[in-house]
Amino acid sequence: MDSMNANEIERHKLTQHYEVLQELGDCYTSVGNYSQAHRCYEKAASLGPDEPGPYVGLGVAALQEAKLEEAEIAFRVACRLDPRCAKAYAGLAMVAQQRREFPQSFDLYMKSLELDSNNITALLGLFQVSCEMGSFAKVIYYLQVYLQMHPGDTSVMFALSALYFKDGRTELAKGMLLDLLALEPGNQDAVNLLEEVEHTLAGAGQT
Amino acid sequence: MTDYFADTTGGGGPRRGDVQGPLVTVLMPTFNRRRYLAGALASALAQTHRNLEIFVIRDGGEDVADVVRSFGDSRIVFLDRKENRGKPYSLNEALAKAQGEYVAYLDDDDAWYPEHVETLVRALETQTDCHAAYSDLYRVYCEVRPDHERVVLSKHVEISRDFDRFLMLYFNHVLHVSLMHRRDLLDRTGPYSEDLNILIDWDINRRIAFFSDFHHVLSITGEFYCPLNHSDRISDVRRKDSEDYLRNMLAIRTKNPPKPWPKMGELSIIMALDRLDHEVGRMLMRIWRYTFYPYQLYLPLSPQDLARLDLQMPNVVCVPVAPQSSVDERVDVALRKAQERHVAVVPRGIPVEDMWVEDAVHAILQSRSDREGFLLPGCESGRWGAVVRRSDLVQARSRYPHLSIENSLTAFGVCLRSPDPEELPFQFDELLRQGKLAEAEGDWLLAARLFEQMSRQYGNELWMKAMAARAYFEAGDHTQADRLSREVNRLRPAVDTLLLEAKVRRKQRDFAGAIGLLRQAEKWLSSPVVPEPLQSQAPRQYEQTRRGV
Repeated sequence: MDSMNANEIERHKLTQHYEVLQELGDCYTSVGNYSQAHRCYEKAASLGPDEPGPYVGLGVAALQEAKLEEAEIAFRVACRLDPRCAKAYAGLAMVAQQRREFPQSFDLYMKSLELDSNNITALLGLFQVSCEMGSFAKVIYYLQVYLQMHPGDTSVMFALSALYFKDGRTELAKGMLLDLLALEPGNQDAVNLLEEVEHTLAGAGQT
Repeated sequence: MTDYFADTTGGGGPRRGDVQGPLVTVLMPTFNRRRYLAGALASALAQTHRNLEIFVIRDGGEDVADVVRSFGDSRIVFLDRKENRGKPYSLNEALAKAQGEYVAYLDDDDAWYPEHVETLVRALETQTDCHAAYSDLYRVYCEVRPDHERVVLSKHVEISRDFDRFLMLYFNHVLHVSLMHRRDLLDRTGPYSEDLNILIDWDINRRIAFFSDFHHVLSITGEFYCPLNHSDRISDVRRKDSEDYLRNMLAIRTKNPPKPWPKMGELSIIMALDRLDHEVGRMLMRIWRYTFYPYQLYLPLSPQDLARLDLQMPNVVCVPVAPQSSVDERVDVALRKAQERHVAVVPRGIPVEDMWVEDAVHAILQSRSDREGFLLPGCESGRWGAVVRRSDLVQARSRYPHLSIENSLTAFGVCLRSPDPEELPFQFDELLRQGKLAEAEGDWLLAARLFEQMSRQYGNELWMKAMAARAYFEAGDHTQADRLSREVNRLRPAVDTLLLEAKVRRKQRDFAGAIGLLRQAEKWLSSPVVPEPLQSQAPRQYEQTRRGV
């Protein structure tokens, strides 16, 4: 739950037990305890039968266990329960990505971002798929939009500078990397990429 | 006709010599909640404080004798009555037989945690200036399945309100299920009012407040249930009948216990009237309806007017005056009869609505200056009313009898003014309202700061800190949310604050910490707190009990 208005607080009174189980399931997934995560999500689903959250959780856990079919089924249930569930589409996109079905994955990530341009998982997934497909324009747009809302997000700054670089916009890539390193001087990936960018710029005689 | 038995067969319960500490009387009226009674009763029997006498009073409805007898515990006293006479009657019926030093209450569908009684006994034995104590309870929202199983959706400590005597006159903030008081307190308050059918707990709490402070124990010691899909709570059903609600409310507000009242003041309301007419009649009815501070209403009217007065209003003192006397002379006559420490002089036409006199009463109760009085709202030229100390008014009138009431007070040196905002009652509630408004408007940071400031200045510390923690979290200030939720959880962990602290820890990627907190929260939400009676022993104990009847 990222943000609640007063009505949602009233609703929270009715969903606290569900919320505890959902949070617990997510935490168990984060530490790789998938059997406990399963137990929590299933109990959460029984308390909130119309909520997509537990099925998204089950999908993520299955995905991390490389059980792609189970993951797909869970994400599809979530989509059916809530056709505007950005996380469910991102999950389906991840399944497609794992299967190396990049065009389908790209479309699903895009669908997820249309529903929630804040979805960092979809954004970074889109970045990875774009790199595989060599198609950068759309993902650059979404990364820019995201950075306008989250100006200090260094993971997205890195992704965007990598895309600028791949797209031949070397000066923009350099500027973004310098901003990133000002925020996070120890980011070794950024240092390495900056070296590569500067090398390219030097080769082009632009430094 | 009530059948009465105590299980003295020795089939269950503690043996003589097993029990320590004062005897506590537990009152459990029951009406048509057979399904839940066993759980509630089991929670009473599972108390760590063993020295109990538990009155189960069947107030008509379904037969529950087998449920009660199945426990086979000698501490249970079962009053089996087929007629439904209401909760106050049931409580009085049991209290007439009660022997305990303290009295506690448990509804037939609620549950205490095992240390409930022990916690409150300890509080009353150590806080000896308080003859009443209460703890916090979870309000449990649940869904009732067709088989009557209650599925818990949430457990919230919605109110953890410190005792406030002025508020108690206006609104109940101590739940009956969380209350324990000395039994002899009821000798002073009088018994439960059997003409009430709702707000029964407020009635007794209000009257207790005339004699004692209430000690607030900051522990969660039980839970009460709120079914979502349907409420079978009699009080919930009857509250929907607004006329009935008003009747009960007025009966409570106007019924005062016998004096002396060591902890409560009283106001003399002297009506400054020239005659009785419809306008005055309406005004009197509004005074009855809206005044919640204890009062005596003095009506200085001519004998003819008094004879015409058809007033069922309680707490009225009729003061016959000469028909030709002026309004000020009439007030003087009434003043000679008035005994209360503070006096409100109320002219014809003053607007009588919620808090019409209590703002001024609260201000004068807080006032540390001598010779200070507070104007009533709606005063204007030719329509003057105020609350003053009786001693000031008596002296002002004896020194300056030829002046008007107002001018005599001024001449005597009484400063008359309207109350300042900080002198008004219910400051806490006003700030709470503002904080909730800020939440509703999405200004979480403002709400958080307000709640935290309230926790420092207005009591109710844990409640406000928990609200501030949540508001900080919503505002994205996880550092403050972390600090406050940890602080609350260290002192009095609850499901909501555990969940909040877990969310913060998850944001900090402390998954192990979050899992620990969430597991505790889940345990509290899922585990049956109340032990069920041992099924294998139930039939044997039932037989023993039957023989003992």
